[in-house]
Parts: sequence; C-alpha cells; structure tokens
Amino acid sequence: MNPRVLTIAAAVAAPLLVVLTVSLGRNPHEIQTPMVGRSAPAFSLPDVDTGEELTLASLRGRPVVVNFWATWCFPCLEEHKTLVAGARALGDEVQFVGVVYDDTQRAVRDFFSERGQAYPSLLDEDGQVAIAYGVYGVPETFFVSPEGVIAAKYTGMLTPERLIDGVRQAVGRNAP
Amino acid sequence: MSPVRSRAVLCLRARSATCIAWLTLTVLLAAPATPVVAQVRVARVDIESVVGPPAGARLAGDALSVRTKAVASLLRCPVCQGLSVWDSPAAMAVNMKNEVQALLAEGYTDRQVLDYFEHSYGEFVRLVPRATGIGVLVWSLPVVMLVGGVLIVSRMLVRRPSVVPAGADVTTDPALATYLTAVRELAYGQEDPVPSSAPPPAARQR
Repeated sequence: MNPRVLTIAAAVAAPLLVVLTVSLGRNPHEIQTPMVGRSAPAFSLPDVDTGEELTLASLRGRPVVVNFWATWCFPCLEEHKTLVAGARALGDEVQFVGVVYDDTQRAVRDFFSERGQAYPSLLDEDGQVAIAYGVYGVPETFFVSPEGVIAAKYTGMLTPERLIDGVRQAVGRNAP
Repeated sequence: MSPVRSRAVLCLRARSATCIAWLTLTVLLAAPATPVVAQVRVARVDIESVVGPPAGARLAGDALSVRTKAVASLLRCPVCQGLSVWDSPAAMAVNMKNEVQALLAEGYTDRQVLDYFEHSYGEFVRLVPRATGIGVLVWSLPVVMLVGGVLIVSRMLVRRPSVVPAGADVTTDPALATYLTAVRELAYGQEDPVPSSAPPPAARQR
C-alpha cells in the first residue's frame, strides 16, 4: 500500500484507538461531575418535620453526607436502611442530611412514620439545590468534608461499603 | 350590583366627561400590577457566589418568556436523549427551565445563566459547546476535514490519468487485449466468442 495512505490512516486511527482504550477503563454507569473538589454549594432549606430552615453552613466542622432522594424512588427505599444505620452508627461524628427532590411533605412524613428516621430531611420543592449540585436523578449522595468541600459523589443506591468509603474520603479531604 | 358598577352604568348613560374620567381612573387603579417575577420564589442557593451579581436588566412578561425559551433551548436536559431543557417534559428539565426563568427575571444575563448550569453539570449541559479550549476542535475540525477532503479529491482528479486514452479502441489496443479476453472468458464461461485482432494474451496462460 502507498506509504502516504498508510501514514494518513495511522494518523486518523491512532487518536481513535487512544480514546477507545481510555474509555474501556471507565465505568459506563458513572456520571462525571465537575463538583468533586469544589466547595459544596451553600443552601438553606426547610426541614420536612419542623419547617425550620437548615443551612449547610451551620453544619461546618463535621463531615456531611448530603443524600438526594424521593419517596417514589425504589432504590431510595433500600438505601434508606443503609443511611439510617450509618447515621446511628456514626453518631455525632458525621452529619447526615436528606434533600427530598420532586416530592411532597406529606409523602415524606408518611414514609418516615413507616420506615423510621435518624437525621433531618429537607424539602427542595423546586429543585434549586439539586440543580446547584448538578444532580441528574435520585438517589445521589455527596460527601462533604468538614471544611465544606465535596470530597466524593456517588450516583445510585448506597451500600454500607460505599457509605463508609465516602465518609472516609470526606474525613481525609483537605481544604481546597 | 356593586356601587362602582352602578356608578359606571350611570356615567355611561349620562355621558358626562368628568364622570367617564373618574370611571377610567377607578378602573386603572383597580387593575392588578404586572408582577416583575412570574412566580414567588425563595432563593435557596447563593447563586451570586458562582456567577457574581446580576449583570443585566430584570425581565418580565413577554421579554422574559422569549429569553427563557432562547436560553433553555441552549441547555441539554441531563436525563434525556438529545433534548433541550426547553423541549423536554421531564421533571428535572421543568425545574431547570423554571430556574432559567427565575434567574433571568432577577437580572442575570444569558451568559451568567449558562455559566451557572455549566458550573454544576459541566460543559456537557451546553447543547452548543464553547468555541474555546478543546471546544475549538468541535467547530474547526469539520471545516478542516472538509477542506482537506476537497484538496485530496481535487489533486487526485488532476493527477490521475484517464484509464482509456481518448480515441483508443479497446478491441484493437494490444495493451488491453489481455484483460478484455480474460473478462470475456470469465463473463461468458467460454473461449472468447468475439475474435480479436489483438495478439494472444499472455494472461491466459495461468
């Protein structure tokens, strides 16, 4: 074959090969986010139970697990057990916060009366906070360091292993 | 009948200029003021910390609707396949559309709104990528490839000699006789039915 044709073919194929090779090592279910490593967006939302406003800033100094969820989301039902167990096991060392996405106060209260509650859940009625965090859907969980930096994000149902790993990363994360 | 309404009827019957002026003033004062923001919205997130204070004029009414459609059409619905936030009926897209409207109503510019969404979702959220950084490739590569392709094809057309020289007869050209005979043999499955004036081809000796 003509060496020039071969050179052009190699020049076109080489970058494609590199892209494909890199992509093979990625998890296709993992959604990339630019938020990890950045300061967690400050927010103020009403507590589903008390109606009192809770701010992220008031939780500074401890690692915070911010879990976006909804009562209509099936994986969130399973995940709830893990989060409640985690909140009880870790006690005051880690603060858990639920952010209820696209749901109603009544549905959330019914959910808690049936399944129990171990930490505050906040109502994000128009999705402002979800948008600020770049949430695609529920469940999604952000692990925020004591300094207020997003150390890790997990998309999908949390398992105990993933929860502890996320908290570990939040504790070990330094200020930006 | 309400006192205002009965007074209005009397005014119209009397056709008094003073009375009609009073009636007009009453109606104007009673008309509800046009809301600046379409919906009452409590800001839950500190958007200024991301894109700075609003740099444009507050929008309302038709102007707000037009700008909302324009900006929401430039944002990708994160949970859809190739749909803009404006076109998608998904709950996430509806929330994003409402957020675009609220930000424009507060006086944020188109660029600030797009930057805000890009901050959270990455450049993926832009349906029209930026023409900076690696995004330059998206805009320039098709043009480069097109120009390159045209150049390659035009050079090939200029350099490539004609397969059959003008005026040549394939049945009498000795250089083509070999191939002609071979094709005839393969096509008809027999010895060349058409006698050729060309010398016997060497290719037939397989």
